[in-house]
Amino acid sequence: MDTLFLDFFQNTGFYLCDYRNIIMILIGIVFIYLGIAKDYEPLLLVPIGFGMLMGNIPIFIGLGLGIYENNSVLHYLYFGVTQGIYPPLIFLGIGAMTDFSTLLARPILMLLGAAAQAGIFITFLGALALGFAPNEASSIGIIGGADGPTAIFLTAKLAPHLIGPIAVAAYSYMALVPVIQPPIMKLLTTRKERLIRMEEPRQVTKREKMIFPIVAFLLCCFLAPAALPLLGMLCFGNVLKEAVVTERLAVTARNAIIDTATILLGVTVGASTQGDVFLVPSSVGIFVLGAVSFCIATASGLIFAKIMNLFLKSKINPLLGAAGVSAVPDSARVVQMVGQREDPTNFLLMHAMAPNVSGVIGSAIAAGVLWSLMA
Amino acid sequence: MYGIDAINANNGWAISVVGITIVFTGLVVLSFVISQLHKVMDLFENPRKIKRWFIGEKEADKADKIPEPSLFVITEEQKEITKQFALLARTMEDHFSLPRLLHLSQISGVKNPHSSLQILLKSAIIFPDGEGFFCWDQNVYTRTIS
Repeated sequence: MDTLFLDFFQNTGFYLCDYRNIIMILIGIVFIYLGIAKDYEPLLLVPIGFGMLMGNIPIFIGLGLGIYENNSVLHYLYFGVTQGIYPPLIFLGIGAMTDFSTLLARPILMLLGAAAQAGIFITFLGALALGFAPNEASSIGIIGGADGPTAIFLTAKLAPHLIGPIAVAAYSYMALVPVIQPPIMKLLTTRKERLIRMEEPRQVTKREKMIFPIVAFLLCCFLAPAALPLLGMLCFGNVLKEAVVTERLAVTARNAIIDTATILLGVTVGASTQGDVFLVPSSVGIFVLGAVSFCIATASGLIFAKIMNLFLKSKINPLLGAAGVSAVPDSARVVQMVGQREDPTNFLLMHAMAPNVSGVIGSAIAAGVLWSLMA
Repeated sequence: MYGIDAINANNGWAISVVGITIVFTGLVVLSFVISQLHKVMDLFENPRKIKRWFIGEKEADKADKIPEPSLFVITEEQKEITKQFALLARTMEDHFSLPRLLHLSQISGVKNPHSSLQILLKSAIIFPDGEGFFCWDQNVYTRTIS
């Protein structure tokens, strides 16, 4: 009987526990805390945090329980991440809930979304310099796009072994947009610039909104065909929304589909951060480079907005440049928050949505370009 | 390999320049296209503007002059029926339902209500409001029966 108890004890988590599991469980609890108590991207941080708890329960290898073990349930669910299935589904939902009106009203703001993608390529160089392979460097660079699904999609294609740290880094920085961006925004702009008021955007017709996703899809995918899975689903989702006659499908895409994909993606990405796989020196490098990438992306957008102001008759508020990173709608909200601290009657949110959604398109194109150059 | 050597060895500079150039080109072209989109839509909705490009302003103005629509001629009997319809239309809302007017004309004993209603529509005394209802044009009515 003693032997039976001993055998059982040796299979429990208490016996198999490793300090790395404990660290990851604590990080998971912090994620859940940040999501629930601080309201930082709760829809992402709570599933990822709980996934971290699930992935770091010490298990007896061979029982088919771990995410990296063939035939385990988690392994099957993780298939959607490793094969890049969940990110396009999330993009479908994003498309079905995005209103491109402000972008159509002032297309020039789209350039801010392009400028912010500079962070991706500068970080790519940084990662190469730190000794990462080109495919790994591309996956790390894309964190600067501040677009979790895109980062996961590209990493699944180029460096699947880095999905855990890259996904966690991307979503962590997305959640920390209100903490990371404001100091950079204040540093790179003067008070006078932050007080600039934007012109009222023109009215956009329903027909324009209907045609835009089709034109954008054709144009961008002819230019960068590798962006097809992400941009295709994004634009398709938007067609469903704007077509009106497909409202039922649009509702499903922006509710049921995106929620299901987010839950499965969050939990499995979290579960993939097993202590022994995640707590390695390269993860630290990824986190540092991810933060750098995010800061450069924000700064690039701000600086480009200031450069544009040198040539524009009707000046734009350079804070909008920070919304060029594609953390929708968080970075646009941060622009509104920082702008209103200077002038409570200045409403920038609507204008910031234009570079914000163009950032989504830009980061998808950047991912497509990197994939085609590395594949 | 680390540092600049690693970047050079992996063709990093070229990849970065090409990458950012493609992203910029894509979004610049897209922003240009959508900045012109409403103008193209406007042309589709007002094809006369295209005509103006090709045949010149003066010629287009001449061509655009639409002759006054000729008045619909109706018989004395039809005029009487039209007056009866006018009385019925007064009892209704400004925007009324055609089946409702037809029903009223039937129960009021108006002669040939279907064909009479057809005449009112052809003469534009009754015209659709574009939202499924119809309106009574008092001016056309006065000119037609006078």
